[in-house]
Parts: sequence; C-alpha cells; structure tokens
Amino acid sequence: MPVVTVSVKRLNELLNKQYKLNVLVDALEQLGCDVEDTAELGLYQCPACQTPNDRLEHEEPPKRCDFCGFESEEPFEKYATDKVIRIDLLADRPDLFDTGGLSRALKGYLKLEKGLSEFTVKEGNIEVNVDPVLSQKETFRPYIACAVITMPPLDQTSLREIMRLQENLHWGIGRDRKLSSIGVYDLGTLTPPIKYTTVDPIEFKFCPLGMPGVQMTPRKILEEHPKGVAYAHLMDNYKRYPILMDANDLVLAMPPIINSNETKCKINSSRLFVDVTGITQDAVINSLNTLVSALIELGGEVETVKMNYPEGPKATPDLSPKKINIKLDAAQNWLGLDFSKQEFMGYIRKMRLNIEPKKDVYEVSYPAFRSDIRHEVDLFEDLAIGYGFKNIQTKLVPSLTIGEARKEEELSQIVREAMTGLGFTEIMSLHLQSVERHFTKYQMEPGKEHVIIKNPKTIEQKVARCHLMTGVMETFYKNRRKTVPQRIFEVGNIMLINPKMETGTNEYRHLAFAIIGPETGYAEGRMVLDSVMRELNYKGDYKPVSHPAFCQGRCAELTGDAGLWARVGEIHPQVLNNFGLTYPVSYCELRLVKVI
Amino acid sequence: MRKTVSKRQWKVFKVLLDSNQELSTPQIETRSGVEHPQVAATLIYAQEQGWLTLKEHLRKELILSDSAEDQMKKGLPERQVLPILAEKGRMPMQEMARIAKQKEIPMGDIIKWSSLRGWVKKDKGELIITKDGHKAIDNPDADEKAIELAIKSGTLFLDQLENQGIDPARVNKLLNKRTSLAKIKERTIRLACLTDAGRKILSEDIKIIKEQNILSPEDIESGEWKNIKLRHYNVTLEAEKIYPTKIHPMQKIIQQTRKAFLEMGFTEIVSPQAESAFWDFDALFQPQDHPARDMQDTFYLTRPAEAKLPHDKFVENVKQTHENGWKTGSTGWGYKWNLSRAKEMVLRTHTTSTTIRALAEDPNPPRKVFCVGKVYRNEAISYKHLPEFFQVDGVIIDEAASLATLLGTLQEFYRKMGFEKVKFKPAFFPYTEPSAEAFVYMESKKSWIELGGSGVFRPEVTRPFGCKVPVLAWGLGLDRLAMLRYGINDIRELYWSDLDKIREVSLCR
Repeated sequence: MPVVTVSVKRLNELLNKQYKLNVLVDALEQLGCDVEDTAELGLYQCPACQTPNDRLEHEEPPKRCDFCGFESEEPFEKYATDKVIRIDLLADRPDLFDTGGLSRALKGYLKLEKGLSEFTVKEGNIEVNVDPVLSQKETFRPYIACAVITMPPLDQTSLREIMRLQENLHWGIGRDRKLSSIGVYDLGTLTPPIKYTTVDPIEFKFCPLGMPGVQMTPRKILEEHPKGVAYAHLMDNYKRYPILMDANDLVLAMPPIINSNETKCKINSSRLFVDVTGITQDAVINSLNTLVSALIELGGEVETVKMNYPEGPKATPDLSPKKINIKLDAAQNWLGLDFSKQEFMGYIRKMRLNIEPKKDVYEVSYPAFRSDIRHEVDLFEDLAIGYGFKNIQTKLVPSLTIGEARKEEELSQIVREAMTGLGFTEIMSLHLQSVERHFTKYQMEPGKEHVIIKNPKTIEQKVARCHLMTGVMETFYKNRRKTVPQRIFEVGNIMLINPKMETGTNEYRHLAFAIIGPETGYAEGRMVLDSVMRELNYKGDYKPVSHPAFCQGRCAELTGDAGLWARVGEIHPQVLNNFGLTYPVSYCELRLVKVI
Repeated sequence: MRKTVSKRQWKVFKVLLDSNQELSTPQIETRSGVEHPQVAATLIYAQEQGWLTLKEHLRKELILSDSAEDQMKKGLPERQVLPILAEKGRMPMQEMARIAKQKEIPMGDIIKWSSLRGWVKKDKGELIITKDGHKAIDNPDADEKAIELAIKSGTLFLDQLENQGIDPARVNKLLNKRTSLAKIKERTIRLACLTDAGRKILSEDIKIIKEQNILSPEDIESGEWKNIKLRHYNVTLEAEKIYPTKIHPMQKIIQQTRKAFLEMGFTEIVSPQAESAFWDFDALFQPQDHPARDMQDTFYLTRPAEAKLPHDKFVENVKQTHENGWKTGSTGWGYKWNLSRAKEMVLRTHTTSTTIRALAEDPNPPRKVFCVGKVYRNEAISYKHLPEFFQVDGVIIDEAASLATLLGTLQEFYRKMGFEKVKFKPAFFPYTEPSAEAFVYMESKKSWIELGGSGVFRPEVTRPFGCKVPVLAWGLGLDRLAMLRYGINDIRELYWSDLDKIREVSLCR
C-alpha cells in the first residue's frame, strides 16, 4: 500500500497555525488515517525532469531518477529536509491522499472551519474534441474529463504536491492507471482546442517527458522509457494508441503511459491544464473532482473545459455538492450515541459537510469527490468521527444468549487431552502443499479426491491437504538431530472432493499421531490407537490393507459405524528415505468426525 | 543433647582428632579413606558447627598426562635429536625432517619445543644449536626434573619446587601449553584444624549413626529407619529441567479465543474452507472488479471449479444490491453483476464468509456467533507472511447493536484475551460502516499494537438476507497475535516446529 508523506511545516502553513507534531498525529488518527510513523525526509529533485525523488534520512541519496530514469555519477543534491508524517493511503478515501485534502479535513476536526469548503468553478472557453474511434474495442479509452486551474506560481513544494497526488490517484482510483490516468500541463505551452484521438504506434513520434530532444515512436517508448516499460501491459490489446494533442499537433500526452516533455509543468507555471482519461466514467470523474478540489485547497481557481463527445458536449468539472437525506434517530440507534439536534448538526459540519433540517429528515450536502458515500450509513461514519471515537461511552448489548461450542471442537479437545496424556506433543502444519510433498514422496498417485489450486504463486501451494502425513514427517525431519523416540500428533481438517456438496467438498476432522525411534513399530501405533478409541467410545474392525506409504503386511485400516475410519502402520523405508529419516516411524491417522 | 554424626563423618573427625597439626584435604582423604566430595562436605559442616577452622589457599598442581612417564623414558622428541644436532652444529631442515621420520617423532614437536627451550635457532632453512643447547645435553631442563619428581611422589605442587632447586616459573612456561605431557591446574587446598571446643565435643559427646541416601523397603518395614540418618541435600541447588508434553502454542491461542467467545454467550459456527466467490465476496458487497478478488491475492480453484449457489431469492437480492442498491437505501455499485463470477471457487480469504452464511441462515435477533478457522491469501512463504493463517470472526445480530456496543463488546473480548488497555480509532473497511480498528497495549513491547478490524455491517450486506437490525462484526488474525505473544520473529517457526521449543513455551504465557 502506498504511503503518503505529509510535511508538518506545510500542513501548519495551510492550517495557518503552529500545531505540535503529536497533536497533528492524534487528530489524523482520530480522522481514520493510518499513521505509519514520523520521519525526517531528505528532498531531492531530478536535474533532468525536476521530479521529486525524496528519500528518508537513513536511506542512500538517489543517483537515478525514479521517474525518467536519468542517471548521474554524483548523487542528486539535497536541497532541504522536512519533518514528515507518513500515512498509509486509505483506498476508500482518495480525498485524504494529499496535504491539501488532509488540511481540509483537519480544519474541521480542529474546529478552525466548518461546513462545506467553497468549490467555485468559473465557466471557461477551452474545448476538447473527442474522436469517436476511442469508443471502439481496439482503441477503447472513451472517457475524458478536463479542467483549467490557475494556481499561485508553482514552486518546488506545490509542484511536488501535484505530482505526488497524481501518482496516488493513479493507484487509489485508477488501479495503477488501468481504469484512469491523469495528466497535468502548463497551459501556456498549448494552443486550444485540444483533440483526443489515436495515433499509429510505429509511424508517429514525439518527445516523452524526461528525454528532452529525443523523438520516439509510441512503440519505442513502451520498449525503452522506464514508464513505458512499467505500463506497457496496459496497451497489450491496442491497435492504435490514444493521444492528446493541441491545435498545432503538439502532443500533451499518450495516456495512460506518459506526458510529453514540451508541455510539462515547471517552476513558475501558473495556468494548468488537467486531463483524466479512462475506461470507466466513475473513475475518470472521481479522479478529476478529487484532484481539482485538492488544488483549490492549495489556492487554485478552476475553470470548466467543454468535452465535445460524438453524442454531444459536456462541461467538466462539476463540483456542485451532492445531497443525501439522513434521520437523526436512525443515526442515534446505529451509533448507540445520545446527542441533541444541535450537537448532531455540529458533528456533521465539523466533518466539512453541510446540513439542513427538512420536515422529517436532515439534508446533508457533501462534496462531489466523496465517491465513497452510497448510503446514509456512510454519513453515520462521518458523524461518529465528528463525535470522536475517544468520546464514545462503550456498552454491551443487553440480550442474553447462551454460548455453545461446536461438537468437533469439543471432541478435538478431548483428543488433545488424551494424546498429551499419552506423552505426545502437538504440532500444527500448513494445509497447502506441493504435489511432491503430498503424494510423490509417499509413492502415491495424486487421485481425484483432492482440491487443486489454480493460481498459486509457487508450486508449494498446489493442493489442499487430504491427509495429515506431511506435517508429521517434516516435523521429524526438522527434529532429526534430537534424541529419539519422539512422539507427536496433529488434530486438523482435511478436504475431500464431493460433487454433491454446495461447494463441492467435504471436510473432516482428523487426528494423526506418529512415533519415530529404533524400537517403534506397528504394535506401538496400534496400542495408542486402541487407547484413543477407548477414550472416545469408538468401536471398529481392523483389516489388513496395502498402501504405498506403508510397509507391506504392517498396515491396517479400521472401519466402524458413522463413517469411522483409521489407518495405522509402519511407514515404508523408501518414504523414510524420501523424507531424510533414519529411524522407523509408526503412523496412524484417525477420522474423528465429519465437519462439513 | 548428644550430637550425632554419620559413620563416614566420624572417619574424617577421627583423623583430625589423632593429629595435632593442620591437615590438608588430600592428607585427610588419604588417611581416612573417604573420598574428596564427602570430606569437603564434612569439613564445611563441622566449620559451621564451630568444631574446626578451615584455611584455604590456591596451589598449582602438576598433573601428568597418562603417557608422561612413557615419554620421559623414551626421551622427549627434542632431547632425542639434541646429540645429533650437537655433533654437526648446524643442519638443514630437510635433514632434520628425515631423522624425525626415521625415529617416528613429529618434526613439528622437535622444532616447537627445542625453540621454546632456546636450544636451537633457525637460519636460512638450517637449524643451529645454541650454547644453551650444548649445555642441555647432559643437564635435564627444569620441567623434566619436575616431571621426574612428580612421577616419584604422585602429587606435586609448583610451590614445592624451589626447595629442590628447580625454577617454578620456567616449569610453568615450558609446560603451560604442552598438555600431551602435563597440565598445571589450580587447586583450592583446605587446611583443617580442630578448635578446642570441637575437640572437646568430638572426644566426649558424639553418637555415631548410619547415614544413607535412600531407605530400603526393609529399613522402613523393620523400623531400622530410626537408626538411619537420611543424608542432607542442598535443597537450593538447581534441578535438572524437564517439560511436559503439550498442546501447540498456536492451539493455546485458538482455545483461549474460543473460551472468550463462549463465555460471552457466543455460539460456535463453521463453514467450508473451499468457498464460492458468492459467499466470500459478493454477499459482503465486494464489487466483482474489487482488487481483493484479483488472482494476485486470492487462491482460485480448478477442482472444484464451480459452486452451487444458495436459493434464488438471496442471489437475486445480492445481484440487485450490487447493481442498483435494491431496497437497501443504497445506490449500489452501478455495474452489471455477473452470475458466473459468483460461482467461482476460492479458498476463503476471511472467516467473514462463515459469519455471513450464519446470518443468511438465521437473521433473527438476538444472535451471537463466532468461528475460528484457516483463511488463505495468495502469497509466497516468507518469514513475515504465510499463504494461510488462523482468523477469528464474531458477529452480533441485535436490536441494540450499535457502534457503542461494538466497542464495548470488543473491549470485553480483548480483556479476556489478556489485554487490559484497549483503544479504538476509526478505519475504513469495504463492508462495515462505521469501521473501527482496535489497538491493545502490549506490556512486553511497551507500545500500542493494532489488533483486528471491526464495524457495523453495511445494510447492503445484511438486508439481502432478510436481516433488519444492525449487525456487529469483527475479525482478527491469530498468527500475528501468536508472534507478538511468543516473541517469534519468523512466522515459519510456528508451523515447522522445533519440538523442544513447543514444550518449553510456558502454559501461562
């Protein structure tokens, strides 16, 4: 999960106060942020593309730009250090991804401001012409939303904030640019109107960000530019690549891969053009709304841009608040808290929302970027945070209920008691195993009874266990240098395929126990099994069986009523070899009860 | 009352009574025939009684190796070759090596020890005999003299050498690292001398009894035990360590968790580990394009590949809720829900699939249920992560369920798990609203540790199954708790067990 680093100095600047570090950390936590830690951050900048390349103080200074791949002999020059709070991004709350958004929330929580932030949008005159070809399957990236923002001239701090927020939104809303991606440009370099169209990946050329003076084809960018290599998989099925160009065919960007070098934002850029393109409307609109709202917090002023879609024009961004009705008593019941109408409205406003009493309900207005709100309970959460988790008087539900344990668990506890009494130590082993460790080493053919995993990261997780032998054998191997005899047992579930079941499997609770040592053999295993059977009041009949994991003539199976089953015997010497063991092992596995 | 002493103690006291001087422990041992540990114990006992005084001093004893006498008879390696070298004055190293081989003595020993003695010098690959070397031909060195003395007398202390005109410092230097010949060992020698009072008591007022370590059945039956003194033990000494066989440390945490819930009136429930995506994701209002459902994070199954779904009403309600919110008051996710994706089989990613199944089975309040079970995440095995771990999930279905009762229940639960200090912060989870994270104060780490998520189920989760009251839910990974509690840094240690370690973990930890 990405971590956002928030400068304490910058945060206080935006709050126009001098809060101590611990006050800010506590407030952020009470707002629901996962504060990872606080740290000293060294600030570095790539000499080629000006992208921030920050490092924690204990880390090596960068020599290679994370963004454009520029490499220098000497480490980049550190121009400042910063005390920062590091926060794990909350996937559900992209509006808290950056210093601007966090300061908006903090202003409410720390009672500096209340109610909705003002998000004024002026009508602008720039247009974007959208090529219908982008809706076709082979070039599918049909959605675009843009805005013009006038910022106080960018300095290193605001430039880095914009770039970081852009990256975080790529992760948080764009699913690593799959659903949507963002570009920010210096409007001064552009001649409107802008067109959103496609180009040929081999014939077309432009100069990508971070490589001044180098003209590359889109295909070459995917092969050679660090960002091209990183995101090439997104273009796998594209015949032609999406592109944004101005009236003079100057390239803005090749979404979702890279911007052009000529149109990038620089120190002192002020009028910015923002685009979001993507494959779902929601992701595109949410990304734009979140980004421009954050820039407003940093002092920006927004103008709309008109998208000329094939089916008609549409202006973005639309930052007008959305509305939802909530009920006071429903909120009180849901949270188990008692508060007056006035307090109730106060908590909502503290969370930077507006609230109006209507006839039976309260109408809450929330900002356009709060895409997480789909139900009144989402506002109950804001209300609870406004109330303060610290202040909640906790209580218990008054209803009386009688607790009851599962039968197989009670039974397993009796078995554990018996086994430890018989001098066996409990082990626990993993359920997922490789075919080799679960079958081949026992000279067994993998049959049709076990669960198979489709997509494990390694072959070690290919099957879900259908017997308990492997944990036992591997424990003996692990303890092979210790004194023998060793006595161990495991109680756990195994899975077997049964097409009649809703989920296609049965689960059984098994007991496995084993002894390793020079003297052990069938008789000892059998003695222990009989002893456990007596304790459980189980009765069954033995019959000789042959099984590839056991010595011929020294293996028996027991069957009885209600699916009772057990196998007991001496492990085959070849199997001992396969597991690197040098003493005989007597092994028994007993089906205690069916669980599923 | 008359003092009693054992027969063996009496042998020691008798030796002291018969002598008018201080006696050393070896002398007492020789004269009494009692072995060293018992002599030492008797002397200390008598000293405590005030019967005698003990003086201690350290002495360096020369202890010969088993082969020392033999080596001296043959002549030490460096002495055997000395006359040959003296004759020639100097000799190439190879020449000396040839002689050594012939005499079957190690060349290394010759060079090492004759150099240390100062008998030879090395010069450009040749050995040259020194003046001291010449002198030594007819004169045994200090250590050789000392060894001869030790062979004769049995024990020899370095401080006895000066009287014999032997330099103890040179002996120490020459023999210090030559353990094949002799060792020099420091020993504490005690000198015992009876006090007047002790002499009086021991000569007049003593009863001698038998002393034994254990009583035989005959001693007990016949009453002979009355005449026997059980030897006193030093009852404060450390005993040998033994451990009982035990249940696994992870099991202890599981059982503690179950007990906590059962005591709080929860009913234990169970559900399949191989689960349909419907119950693992869809029923919890997780959209079908949610990253958690990626192949990257979730184990999908090829066998069984497809699940049967519950009755149509549930499936239809869930579908509608995802698409448009159905009657839950929600906007839904606004996408087209796909039935075949819900039928896909996975290894459950959480035990919330268990609790949501229980809710669907009986949504009527009041109900409290919990389960402990294995859950799976598609990760490779490392010291920090395993692809499978234990999770506990609990649910309360109740008219009075609320955020405040959620936090109250959790506080009680964590108290039963051994954490007195608990605090909460808001969190964001996909299927609860509001959500809270619990932090417990861990005394051993002196810090707050995040331990489990919780919340009130969204109506989009509960309403499709006919539940009309708020439902509290929480879950917690038990493996992480085990690592914290047992101070384990490598999670793999839990499942590839060192049997000694399992036995050594205290039951009350």
